[in-house]
Amino acid sequence: MKSLWLSRTTLIWTLLVAATLISWELGHGVGFDDARAAGAAILVVTFIKVRFVVLDFMEIRTAPRWMRALLEAWIVLCASILIGLFLS
Amino acid sequence: MDRFSEYLARDVGVAKALAWSGMALVVSLVITQGFLMGFIPPPSPALSAEELAQIFIDRKIGIRIGTLIQCICYSFWGTWAISIVVCMRRMERGIPVLTYASIANAGGAWVFFLLMPITWAMIAFRPETMDPKFIQIMNDYVWFIFILSWPPFAFFMIFIAVAIFRDHNVPTIYPRWVAFFNLWCAVLISPAALIEFVKTGPFAYDGLISFWFIYIVFFGWIMVMSVCTLRALTRAAERVKAETAGNAGGVLRPAT
Amino acid sequence: MSEEAAAISSAAPSVAPSETRHVPGEGGIWVLIGGDLVLFSVLFIVFLTMRAEQLPLFEQGRAQLNQGWGLVNTLLMLSSSWFVATAIRAARLQLAGVVARCFGAALACGAGFVVVKFFEYGEKISAGLTLTTNDFFMLYFIYTGIHLIHVTIGMGVLTFLVSYSRSGGFTGDKMRNLESGASFWHLVDLLWIVLFALLYLLGGA
Repeated sequence: MKSLWLSRTTLIWTLLVAATLISWELGHGVGFDDARAAGAAILVVTFIKVRFVVLDFMEIRTAPRWMRALLEAWIVLCASILIGLFLS
Repeated sequence: MDRFSEYLARDVGVAKALAWSGMALVVSLVITQGFLMGFIPPPSPALSAEELAQIFIDRKIGIRIGTLIQCICYSFWGTWAISIVVCMRRMERGIPVLTYASIANAGGAWVFFLLMPITWAMIAFRPETMDPKFIQIMNDYVWFIFILSWPPFAFFMIFIAVAIFRDHNVPTIYPRWVAFFNLWCAVLISPAALIEFVKTGPFAYDGLISFWFIYIVFFGWIMVMSVCTLRALTRAAERVKAETAGNAGGVLRPAT
Repeated sequence: MSEEAAAISSAAPSVAPSETRHVPGEGGIWVLIGGDLVLFSVLFIVFLTMRAEQLPLFEQGRAQLNQGWGLVNTLLMLSSSWFVATAIRAARLQLAGVVARCFGAALACGAGFVVVKFFEYGEKISAGLTLTTNDFFMLYFIYTGIHLIHVTIGMGVLTFLVSYSRSGGFTGDKMRNLESGASFWHLVDLLWIVLFALLYLLGGA
């Protein structure tokens, strides 16, 4: 029972909450003077969160390799396009 | 091959022809609406009535020929849908509720398909003397019929999905991913409801989501379902053959 | 293939052997998840493209959002996803009671999300901000609306899973069905994470 709650899943949840609070601060002008840099940082943090949800919550870490590769490729592609559009 | 299986083999042939008719519908759409009428994408809902009337005056011959072909080919909606319904009938035991619901739905949805070319043909009948305001209203009407009529089509997708989930055949008549594909399409065409509210942008009736995305999903769905139905019918025919060879017979008989 | 794979995995034990790798849930659910990721990718791109065209308006729109609600909803979504992931792990340990309670907790978080959205929409509409106010609020209402449809469907799935998991016996098809439902709920979470950043957080540029 203890191992159920003191687990990697719980650790990931803690990290996700921490990342949310960090990006929240970034969205309120903490850390970067430049809103463009802050925005790009927010998007990077967002897609790191997305990657944790995909790999650990959706259990893609142990899925067949092609499936993991496909989803990781989507994360990188989507993040790059959005950051590119945001900065342009 | 006994007599019953012989009839069945012919029925499968007819059902396959019906499944192909869906492909014909999509091809005719691209040719008529795309090339002959130039309505892919639609004229912007933000155009003035006079600009819109001019489009109908300039393209009236193309529109007349296009709608003539559409009246024939859009009727294929009904024939195509029935090719899926006969497969659904084989999935259901007891009371074939989803089959009946789908027949009613497909028959009703067919009206929307035919109303589009008929209305366009009416606009192109005398566009020079018609008040541009009328043309604008009628043109809006066509697109609203086309896009806002999404619910019966979504219901049909959901019926197909539920029937596949409840399919008692081993293996199932359609592979199970087809059910999820249908659910996805049903959710995806729902933003069509938004064309009521906006005249520009991605959710207007000429927009990226409400037009392009929904069009590609919807007509892509017809093509995917045509291919899946053809495969399902081929498998059914093979099973008939195999079972009559083993003298079991009647795989296409409704299950009791 | 299998002999070759076995030879490779025995030669390199640090790599998980292919038979322990498995697709979560049934293959079909990934057609739906992949399809939804495509739709939302388009929606995200549309948002930032339109934002670049009307930056001052989008900035003003973002300032009119209640960011607290957005944060609360993100935390609710993350927690519900955590409960669902834990439920799946509990199912592997055959703890039927824990599984049902975890799905129930996830469902409660989902309900909280809907309630918060209800108040948020109410606040906007009573302030005269609606779908037709401007392009920012059009996208805000439509995107969160499409997401809310997903939340509702996901809550239906979770409700089913609560009663489905009570009887225990998590093997084969039953385990696969739990994983399918869980994967869909994680998708709902994932989409909200990106929507939260785009709508509520991204500033000035």
